[in-house]
Amino acid sequence: MSGVAAPEQRALRQTMAWAHGWLGLIAGWILFTMFLTGTSAYFRPEITQWMQPEIHAARTSPAQAAASAVRYLTRTGADDLQWYIYLPEERTVATRVFRIPAKPDPKARGGELQLDPVSGAPLSARATRGGEHFYRFHFQLQLPHPWGRWLAGLCAMAMLGAIISGVITHKRIFADFFTLRWNKGQRSWLDAHNVSAVLGLPYHAMITYTGLITLVTMYMPWPAMMNYAKPAQFLQAAYDTPADVPASGTRQPLVAIAPLVRDAERRLGGPATRVIIQNPGDAAARVSIALAKHGAISSRTPAIVYEGATGRFVSQSGDPASAIETAGVMLGLHLASFAGTGLRWAYFVMGLTGAAMVGTGLLLWTAKRRKPGAAPFFGLRLAERLNIAVIAAFPSGMAAYLLANRLIPADLGGRAEAEVSAMFWTWGLLALVQLGLPARRAWTSLFAIAAISWTAIPVVNALTTSRWLIPSLLDGDHLFLAFDLACLAIGIGFAAAAWLSARPAPRAPNRIRRFSEPAHA
Amino acid sequence: MLLKRGRHDDKGKDQVAQSRAITAAATPRWRGPLAMAWRWLTAIVGGYAFAVATAMLAARLLPVSDALTRVEATGWPMILSFLVYASMGLWALHDIRLGRVSAVIWGGAIVMAGLLWSLGVRA
Repeated sequence: MSGVAAPEQRALRQTMAWAHGWLGLIAGWILFTMFLTGTSAYFRPEITQWMQPEIHAARTSPAQAAASAVRYLTRTGADDLQWYIYLPEERTVATRVFRIPAKPDPKARGGELQLDPVSGAPLSARATRGGEHFYRFHFQLQLPHPWGRWLAGLCAMAMLGAIISGVITHKRIFADFFTLRWNKGQRSWLDAHNVSAVLGLPYHAMITYTGLITLVTMYMPWPAMMNYAKPAQFLQAAYDTPADVPASGTRQPLVAIAPLVRDAERRLGGPATRVIIQNPGDAAARVSIALAKHGAISSRTPAIVYEGATGRFVSQSGDPASAIETAGVMLGLHLASFAGTGLRWAYFVMGLTGAAMVGTGLLLWTAKRRKPGAAPFFGLRLAERLNIAVIAAFPSGMAAYLLANRLIPADLGGRAEAEVSAMFWTWGLLALVQLGLPARRAWTSLFAIAAISWTAIPVVNALTTSRWLIPSLLDGDHLFLAFDLACLAIGIGFAAAAWLSARPAPRAPNRIRRFSEPAHA
Repeated sequence: MLLKRGRHDDKGKDQVAQSRAITAAATPRWRGPLAMAWRWLTAIVGGYAFAVATAMLAARLLPVSDALTRVEATGWPMILSFLVYASMGLWALHDIRLGRVSAVIWGGAIVMAGLLWSLGVRA
């Protein structure tokens, strides 16, 4: 049996190596940007806080925050169909509210608002998409809905295929763990690719599969068609959401919200994180209070429903089906919402190894095909230029987004969109300009630009706000301190990359072959 | 199950297929660009169609006794479908016999679709 299997396995290894190379190349450029922006999204609320340095909201209990938000919403939107209230947690300072008005109000469109958790007054801060932008780009790729999500899903599938075929290709996974030969051209890129891939393999496999699961109802909704007349019935059964109660038309004010929040916290065992109020101000109003379970990986949020007019308990979501709990755990593993600071940084580093794995894989593809002395064919030149445009230019685009946040005047109209434009214009222009340089010079120059732009972030922050490195250090403002230091570290990393890429070409083994070849230039 | 390769009748034939597989690996242009395009289309679109049909069939055929098991019978095929997709997609890139690949993936998806159509939504 094994005698027959051996040659088959060798063939499998060869076809899988081929599939791995092409899957990785085609999806690699998008995957690299997905890895970088997704990695930054582990600090989504922190980035948003850094991008609104004006906000110094006081901390308060979820019940007080809910009460102040309801006070504000009753004043401004008593006739609304629904209110969503996201209460401040450890990592957020403001209460976020979202209204669904009875009649579409053109003025209230785009509608998320930040409130002071104590007073309930709207917080005035510079308009920005904050960490949300990187997070959204990570799976929507700035393309119109639903195409961005489909493309991201296809790339995630290619990643899954590349991981499986990569593992099959590898026969010495353990030895590769300890193998890194520096400055040996293609061999070094292969080693770097192997080290980053093998080191992070469990993380890469996990993050790829769980990423697909985050949008499973979009990518694979079809099984529900065989068991439910309408797909919505599946979601309702899966998440145990109580049926909507239509408005009665009789007006009746809401009961005080704070006691309900405290009651829900007692029943669910933790601080409340979300309040949804249907038909506020109506006799048939419903209040749903949910909490994100702390210390649980699952991102499922159990909820309790109350009658809004009387405060009477209506229902509590029960234990879900094991499939739904599994999907919840997978979602939680992907978003890392359960992780504390230390684990979050570990996630961040693993995310960077993912970007490194994709990046070295892309470089390996071109290094493998480059023949010394021969002019590169069109596909190779294209791949090389795209590698530079993505690996070396995209990080500068991300830095430009953060720099624009400090450089665009805080009260300028349309500034949130301008910040996003800054990222894509910077990325696009750098990707074009590098075409005018020889490839090696282009790598070095773009890495140098990335180093300068990331290092500039803490400098510009110091020049434009009072929350720069030294005051943050003195005030014990860990968030602003860590942000500045992280930008500096990234800048130094790119400076090192620029320096390394500027060194003379690797010696062995290409040089030897070049000498033995007849000169036909 | 994962990435199983078709069995061959005897060793000689096996070695022929073997060397062809290696040639295919070395020269992606085996049998022309059209065949290669069809292979990738089969892997990407056909693999998805096959995974969808498998997941739908599993959802329809798994035993259901109450509301909770109905969610299970729907949810697990959804979660696991990507493994079927990845396996079929990679097999489409691996197996040298494009006719067989097309027959299994497209044919399988069509046969399962017919079966689903005749079964209908679970009452």
